[in-house]
Amino acid sequence: MNTANHRFVSASRWAHRLSCAGALLAISATAGAAGTPVGTIIQNTATVDFDLAGTPITLQSNTTTITVVERIDVVVTLQSPQVLVAPNESDRALLFTVTNTGNGSETFSLAIDSILAGDDFNPTPSATPIYFDTDGSGDLNVGDQPYTLGVNDPVLAADATVDILIVNDIPGTVVNGNIGFSQLTASSLTGTGTPGTEFAGLGDGGVDAVIGTTGGEASGIGEYLVSDVAVSVVKSQVVTDPNGGTQPIPGATITYTVTVEVTSAGTTTASVLRDPIPVYTTYVANSMTLNAVAISDAIDADAGELDTSGPATVVMRLGDLSQADGVQTVVFDVRID
Amino acid sequence: MKRLMSMVVLLALSVTAYPQEQGHLNVRTVVQKEQVKVNEKGEAESELVAADTVVPGERVVYTITFQNISEEPAENVVITNPISGDLMYVDGSAFGPGSDIQFSVDGGLTFAKATELTVTEDGTTRSAGAGDFTHIRWVMQQELAAGAQGVARFSAVLE
Repeated sequence: MNTANHRFVSASRWAHRLSCAGALLAISATAGAAGTPVGTIIQNTATVDFDLAGTPITLQSNTTTITVVERIDVVVTLQSPQVLVAPNESDRALLFTVTNTGNGSETFSLAIDSILAGDDFNPTPSATPIYFDTDGSGDLNVGDQPYTLGVNDPVLAADATVDILIVNDIPGTVVNGNIGFSQLTASSLTGTGTPGTEFAGLGDGGVDAVIGTTGGEASGIGEYLVSDVAVSVVKSQVVTDPNGGTQPIPGATITYTVTVEVTSAGTTTASVLRDPIPVYTTYVANSMTLNAVAISDAIDADAGELDTSGPATVVMRLGDLSQADGVQTVVFDVRID
Repeated sequence: MKRLMSMVVLLALSVTAYPQEQGHLNVRTVVQKEQVKVNEKGEAESELVAADTVVPGERVVYTITFQNISEEPAENVVITNPISGDLMYVDGSAFGPGSDIQFSVDGGLTFAKATELTVTEDGTTRSAGAGDFTHIRWVMQQELAAGAQGVARFSAVLE
């Protein structure tokens, strides 16, 4: 219900909010999903109007005061899609976002766990397994700052986020189709526990801190998929000479047949076959087919063309291929010059 | 000019001339919050405890009690309570025996029943919701006899 519109209405209300210091005002300006900032004081005074013996009178009640204390909450969100890996690869990263969903500033410790139930293999955390995604690239790069527990634990203001990479090596024993999980956990350094647990005086500015619905600790699990795809490409030729024989003489036609097949688990994405026309031969116009369907030579919406921007090359876009797609057959003719 | 200034001061004084201790109506307000406990039977029970401190998402209950401590009946009794900008009124929580309960969406300038209020935003008008209310008002339908008491109550959630 904390919509922008509502906030706008709120701002014009008789808001009995007292801000103790300028710093508080700065925090309240950024308050959003995390809720009313720590230290906000909400006062309430009721007014009574009445007539007594014909005389109108207005009275005020006493004023009640409540102080907003710190609620500790954190959320960890996986950002990476399933990461495709091969056996023996090292330093493969998963990206997470840690969000302080409490209403005060909080410091969080970070931990990695790659020994999880429900997967096929355990990724091996790298020697330095947690990094800040300092360059914002979403992947591990030189310049991403390593995380060290107790040294550079992230300090997040209410609603603030930080992008974290966890980094694993892939064992050599895995096979195609294997899945491995790895988990990032962020824990409030003030404390964690069942919602409602109080930490007296440990909130921002010495107010109490209370564990919120997240328990002050959150985890996200990312996934590695072993996808070392094996592709078989076989090219064969049949020569037909002008005399009805099979001699590779000038004027003879060579029919090339190229078959492409995925022979392992996994999927190749946006596969493209590029086959240059051999020297001393010339492509036979309008001779190319894909799985026995004619494909025009022009660069257009169909799956292929003759690319003449460099040496003439037959180009065929085969798309995403897996074992289930079976054999893709590309056929085209050239004539011997 | 000097005389005008002193008149202004006098007017200001007259507004606050009746503190709550003065002998007409005694009006008190308390704020509490719900605390849910599990009893011996394993059932969740909620009780109201003092709300000195709250965290976002917690529900607080304001209770206003008033007693006529004069010798005369009080007529046209109206209790008005603002809803702080950090609080969101809990729909249907306003309670007051013998009172007509009204709300304001314009900082207490005008009041009407909740269902009759509208809000205009970006040129479109819609029915007012709990998040739009800035004030609640309890309009007592009968006089408050000498010595009689009344109560007004509502709940709100800290945003």
